[in-house]
Amino acid sequence: MSSGDSSVTEQHRVVLRIPADGAYLSILRTTTAGLAARLDFTLDEIEDLRIAVDEACALLLPQAIPASELLCEFAVGEDVLSVRVTTEAVEPVIPPRDGFAWTVLTALVSSVDAVTTETGTSLTLTRQRESRAAR
Amino acid sequence: MIAPDRTRVEDISGSPGDADRDPRAVMRERTRFLFTRMGQFGDDEAEQEIVRNELVQLHLPLVDHLARRFRNRGQPLDDLVQVGTIGLIKAVDRFDLERGVEFSTFATPTVVGEIKRHFRDKGWAIRVPRRLQELRPSLVTAMADLTHELGRSPTVSELATRLQVNEDDVLEGLESANAYSTLSLDAPDAGESDGPTMIDALGSDDEALEGVEYRESLKPLLAELAPREKRILLLRFFRNMTQSQIAADVGISQMHVSRILTRTLAQLRQGLVEQ
Repeated sequence: MSSGDSSVTEQHRVVLRIPADGAYLSILRTTTAGLAARLDFTLDEIEDLRIAVDEACALLLPQAIPASELLCEFAVGEDVLSVRVTTEAVEPVIPPRDGFAWTVLTALVSSVDAVTTETGTSLTLTRQRESRAAR
Repeated sequence: MIAPDRTRVEDISGSPGDADRDPRAVMRERTRFLFTRMGQFGDDEAEQEIVRNELVQLHLPLVDHLARRFRNRGQPLDDLVQVGTIGLIKAVDRFDLERGVEFSTFATPTVVGEIKRHFRDKGWAIRVPRRLQELRPSLVTAMADLTHELGRSPTVSELATRLQVNEDDVLEGLESANAYSTLSLDAPDAGESDGPTMIDALGSDDEALEGVEYRESLKPLLAELAPREKRILLLRFFRNMTQSQIAADVGISQMHVSRILTRTLAQLRQGLVEQ
């Protein structure tokens, strides 16, 4: 990133590591909701994001290595919040884009992206804040 | 009437010869007998197991009774009975006749302890501070009012301003509303019965699910959903209506829509895994 370039919107990063275990997802949901509230998202948008991270983790957890961790990286922009959830996997797989879960995700956030590396799978959810005037 | 009755019962239970007329005394007798047997069998694991099972069976009503005391605290009674039974089994394994106390006296704290531990484990979903419990109703009202006034769902700061609390409180309040949802997953919602008119307003599922790979496996799962759940799901994910729009359409709060979506998705997920 070219620091000092004022045309580039400043982004803050928030990183959270949690055990790859459904019991800890509430922490992730709460963090997501907290950050979205900071960006002045509406409750609709906040709740959508909350459900979306839940769904994303439900997609990733089955391939997670037992006792590994989920890495959750938030990029907090001016009017956009994105969260990348990465799981360690022995056989990383990208969730099918024509599956039901993917359909759900795309309805909940502005964009969904998935990548695999040798060590794991990442899902990135990005939600743009809707312009209030447009409503 | 009552006083003489009680005297009579005490008299009977106090005399060994009439023990069979008081179920509790019978139970105490049987329990003592079984524990004695258990000690006698020593290494015979098969026999031990039979006696142990009977002891557990015999005291299930105790577990049931104790579990009921924790009803209405947000956990399904079945779950409480289940964890309570684990406590009972532990108590059976640890009990020593020589202690000279009744087994039920000994077992009660173990069973209750197990149930309480269950609540502690599920604690995130349970312990909602009074302050937030009190905030919740006004939060719901403010959300509905603001949604109406603004023509869109409000932000957290707008809610905080309206309620004259800070944003953290609003967030926590929303969180606790979600926490509560985990308590009543299977409980029917109030007013459920008066909403049949909206059930069939949607087009066919086939149309809505066009292009979803798993539609064949989804269909039976969708069919199992309550009509309202199914409708909300389809409206959100296939008609792209916002939660607030759906809330207005269905006549419930947006928070409620959110809870239903979360719950329904989990249900479908589970169903897809089991197939």
